Amino acid sequence: MEVVEKRFKSLGAALLTYLVLALLCVWTLGPLYWVLATSFKYDKEIYGAEATLVPREFTWKNYTTILFEKPFPNFFFNSVRIALVTTSASILFGTLGAYAFIYLRFPGQNLMARSMIVTYLIPPVLLAFPLFALFNKLDLIDSIYGLMLAHLTFTVPFCTWMLMSYFKTVPRELHEAALVDGCTRLGTLFRIIFPLSGPAIAVVTLFSFTLSWNEFLYAIMFTQNKWSQTITSGLSSLMVEDIFFWGQMMAGSVLASLPTVIIYFFFQRLMIKGLVVGAVKA
Amino acid sequence: MARVETELLKPYPEKRKRSHRGWTQGLENQTLLGYLLLFPIFIILIGLISFPFITTIAFSFQNKLVGVKESEWVGWDNYRELLHNPIFLKTVVNSFVYTLLGVGIKCAVGLTTATVLNQPIRFRNFFRALLFAPWAIPAVMTALNFRWIFDDMNGVLNLTLVRYFGRKEFIYFLSDPTIAMFSVIAVVVWQGTPFYSMNFLAGMQAVPAELYEAADIDGASSVQKFFYITIPSIRHVIAITVLLSTIWTANEVQFVYILTNGGPDYATQIFPNLALELFQGQHLLGRAAAVTLIFFPLFLIAITLLTRKMLRQTEL
Repeated sequence: MEVVEKRFKSLGAALLTYLVLALLCVWTLGPLYWVLATSFKYDKEIYGAEATLVPREFTWKNYTTILFEKPFPNFFFNSVRIALVTTSASILFGTLGAYAFIYLRFPGQNLMARSMIVTYLIPPVLLAFPLFALFNKLDLIDSIYGLMLAHLTFTVPFCTWMLMSYFKTVPRELHEAALVDGCTRLGTLFRIIFPLSGPAIAVVTLFSFTLSWNEFLYAIMFTQNKWSQTITSGLSSLMVEDIFFWGQMMAGSVLASLPTVIIYFFFQRLMIKGLVVGAVKA
Repeated sequence: MARVETELLKPYPEKRKRSHRGWTQGLENQTLLGYLLLFPIFIILIGLISFPFITTIAFSFQNKLVGVKESEWVGWDNYRELLHNPIFLKTVVNSFVYTLLGVGIKCAVGLTTATVLNQPIRFRNFFRALLFAPWAIPAVMTALNFRWIFDDMNGVLNLTLVRYFGRKEFIYFLSDPTIAMFSVIAVVVWQGTPFYSMNFLAGMQAVPAELYEAADIDGASSVQKFFYITIPSIRHVIAITVLLSTIWTANEVQFVYILTNGGPDYATQIFPNLALELFQGQHLLGRAAAVTLIFFPLFLIAITLLTRKMLRQTEL
């Protein structure tokens, strides 16, 4: 009691805070618990009269089914490849671009920066149909390469913008001193800016990977067969087909969420700081 | 010839600046370097974004079908047909309800969460990681999860209601036209609130403690402190977060697609999903394009405001 009162203004404030906190936790954790529970249950505990809230028996069957009898591994690896390639390209283009915007002066600079942010904000649904027509013509439908290109449309502007925010925090004097000492501009990029923005590039990598991993609209439009589908389009197509195999669906859902959850688990402080850098500037 | 002479006449040959750097010295020209570095981004902006966007606009004025090359220009026909189409009008209403309720509730819950997480509670970091967790889950997975939770017969909600609360009938969360939209919005809120909480909390933590202390001295209540100090201090954060979220929420396809696919008789259909249905189901490319564009002027306002704010952050 004493400890609580020292931290809070009054007992009432403490109680209210903890009550709201408890409600928020139940609201957040409830669904997560249910997904995990379902994924480890036998079918008889999932459906019908014997359905349980807390599993009585524990099984890996749902996981083995979805991993070995469904094209799930395909989906997973497609998503991995697309996310990795998209991320690598975005970091490369983003770093070069952010450097150009922050450290150079050239005509059309402002316009280009503006355009980049505007295009990032254009809803994907507006680009989806022509992109489909374009990829159709280029034979990129049902191909992970089509999705890689499509994902670049939002990861590159996002990465560039985020890196711009970070580059601004590198003191200009460092850059100018290097130039005076005879370093080429390109040299300052590789020798000074790059090494100093390690954390920034790490954050941008994680975000870009997550954005690509979670992407849905382009995935369901551009990949329709089980060889090219990603985790998002593949799992949702399984639902339409196998509408009653919820044990497996939940297992698939858990597995599909693993990469982003693991990233979050290890890097959440870094990522949250990076995310709000854009929205919160003193 | 003259150049050679002046070279020979100089007492000490001037070391050409950075001559030993080789080819990179040609990139000293900032304009050249700038354009070169931005070239890949430029290609993406033009080829993968601007050009398709213009094409969408063009499609909306044609009666183009999917997979068919030929089409004719029909002017405003697509738009006119939409405005007289009861399904489209229902979609418009749904979209407004979906977006306004979604953003509004997310904002309120986000503020609440951020406020709670800003208090001196025990194990604060743990609770913070916990309450932000939905953000780490792909939206599609959340939609699938809740599709199961809301299931008519075996979903956990109905299960609990029938078994422990003695209800006779199931509640058709996703197939009852009157409540389907609210079920979907609940999922949207679950998934999207962490984005608000994160930003708001970061904003709140940047508020100097002296402001609150001064208010305490003046005898302000908690409520007064919240409305007169906290909210005004984070108003930029609120603005950016709400604007971003509005654009994103309104154009989300996943939740409606997986939960109800437009809902019992279009009760939950929102315009991006309608566009998708027109495209995939009826192959009406032109009309689908028109659907996506009809709301664009509204988003353009949000985009303009946001661009200004976001560029101000990078002070360009």
